[in-house]
Amino acid sequence: MSIKRVLRILLKDFSVEPRKSFFIWALIMPFALTLLFQFAFGSLFEPKPRLGIVDQGNSVITTEVQELEGFEVLILTETDDLIDKVKQHDLDAGLILSADFDREVKAGEKPLLEFYISGESLASNRIIVSVTTIEIIRGLEDSEAPVEVETVYLGEPGLPLSIRLVPLIVFYALVMAGMWVPSSSLVEEKEKGTLTALLVTSVRISEVLLAKWLLGFIFATFLAAATLLLNQAFGPRPLEVMVVIILAAALTSMIGLLIGIYSKTATMLFTLIKSLGIFLFIPVVFYLFPEWPQWIAKFFPLYWIISPIWEVSIKGEPLSLVWFEMMIAAAITLGLIPLALLLKKRMLT
Amino acid sequence: MTAPSIEVKDLSHWYGNLQAVKEVSFDVYPGEILGFLGPNGAGKSTTIKVLTGQLALQEGRAKILRRDIGREDPVLQSQIGVSFEEKNLYLEMSALENLNFFASLFGIRDAGSAEALQRVGLSDRAKDRVSSFSKGMRQRLMIARAFINKPSVLFLDEPTDGLDPVTANQIRKTIREEADRGAAVLLTTHNMHEADELSDRVAFINEGEIVALDTAERLKLEYGKRSIRVRLRDGDGVREEKLPLDGEQSSARLSELAASPDLMTIHTEEATLEAIFIHLTGRGLVG
Repeated sequence: MSIKRVLRILLKDFSVEPRKSFFIWALIMPFALTLLFQFAFGSLFEPKPRLGIVDQGNSVITTEVQELEGFEVLILTETDDLIDKVKQHDLDAGLILSADFDREVKAGEKPLLEFYISGESLASNRIIVSVTTIEIIRGLEDSEAPVEVETVYLGEPGLPLSIRLVPLIVFYALVMAGMWVPSSSLVEEKEKGTLTALLVTSVRISEVLLAKWLLGFIFATFLAAATLLLNQAFGPRPLEVMVVIILAAALTSMIGLLIGIYSKTATMLFTLIKSLGIFLFIPVVFYLFPEWPQWIAKFFPLYWIISPIWEVSIKGEPLSLVWFEMMIAAAITLGLIPLALLLKKRMLT
Repeated sequence: MTAPSIEVKDLSHWYGNLQAVKEVSFDVYPGEILGFLGPNGAGKSTTIKVLTGQLALQEGRAKILRRDIGREDPVLQSQIGVSFEEKNLYLEMSALENLNFFASLFGIRDAGSAEALQRVGLSDRAKDRVSSFSKGMRQRLMIARAFINKPSVLFLDEPTDGLDPVTANQIRKTIREEADRGAAVLLTTHNMHEADELSDRVAFINEGEIVALDTAERLKLEYGKRSIRVRLRDGDGVREEKLPLDGEQSSARLSELAASPDLMTIHTEEATLEAIFIHLTGRGLVG
């Protein structure tokens, strides 16, 4: 096998494939789906409350606010600068904490708290910022709340639908790029006879197949990572998320390659993809409906890549939690190689 | 004596129960063009497919450049050029990109793709996508691609099929140049004029068997009838008379006709390859 020839075929594919409408469609769809789902269910363009703080002392309030999720906090040194930013709606609110603020609160002296709110900020953001600030100050004062609040969650517990849809979009990206791209590219080479033209040169069939797998793998990795990035779903462990994506791209591209080797024509390819579609997509459906018995999803091969994506990217869990799933996914990928070699012989005959 | 570039001995091939090629044997020498002449379905393309590794060798022996044929022999494949009947080019790429890509697969850095395109008259369309090319232009590009690695052996499957006479002549000229360079050329065609004009030797193939193999001249001598066609005025019409060249009676009759005031034209009638093919197989070259 010549790596140089593999790379030449791969470069040719990277040059030719983007000129096809299908490739562009595969590239655009995950982004279009992201935007659609975010508009329909989520908050892609809904900004987090932006709070500016000028801390003239060393208040614990600043630290506590910075640790809060769902806030964008900007620490400034100049009061005038803070006021300007609030005026221009660069910030929803601005807080000026005097040098002895913490001590004065604890001593019950009721110090003046300068709190600026932007006239253009959303009502929801104003409420969130105000209530949160008051709660933190009350904690500082160490005083009892005047009322006891009983929180009752209504609706389904767990993550919002917009988040639960992320695996679906990522999976779609993986399927489009990892399965469709190598399989359709290979079948097109067969149908147009260019595969025969390649094989009467010094190129070996294994080199063509490796190039097609790499095409799907690289494209799937890029598209899945871009989709997660767009959905802000990389979580606190981006490198670990990348490891999961790379494994997922390897598996989906291998399945795509097998489909491409097996299919003699585009019609056969479409039929196979349509038939396999439900089988492949079922694990994702289980994530949309957490009340369903989740163990059923484990019978489907792509569960073993969707589960690590869910745990590591969406829930922010470490890789160590999903090592078993990843081992299974890797085993499936490696196990498909002999099948590809077997089908390769069938393709040549 | 120079060793043959292509050596085929008792080659047979089956598609299921159908035997497409039946124990064919032939050699092609460097610088020689062997024309495989036969109707569609005679086994010409199957023979080429077996020799180029597109189909597995089932029975018989075949060597190219003294190497046994078989799939995936990069050394051998780097020394052959193939032009397929099907126009299998990358339509989304330009003519130049197609040639450069295939040259790169042979490990050729400076392939001279621009010169190759010039040879087949496509210089002005070098950067255009192949999808915008006519059938003739695609065929010319196929020929340029087959030559891009300066092969020692060329397999050309119906290289001028369906082309206009000008394009066909241009392609024949290029094929002859390649043979003059020293390449052994196996050319399949069902065009008797092409085989006659281009081939150093001709093999007649019918129903998978080679029924005759020799130079066109010798075949004509062996199987052709030497005769003369004489056209004479006959009242308001014209009548024709055919005279065999052999025999005293013909000679006397010819002298008589030559002196006739009704004589219009005299033509020698050389046997065509098609006539010989029909004589040998009982069927025509087309269909």
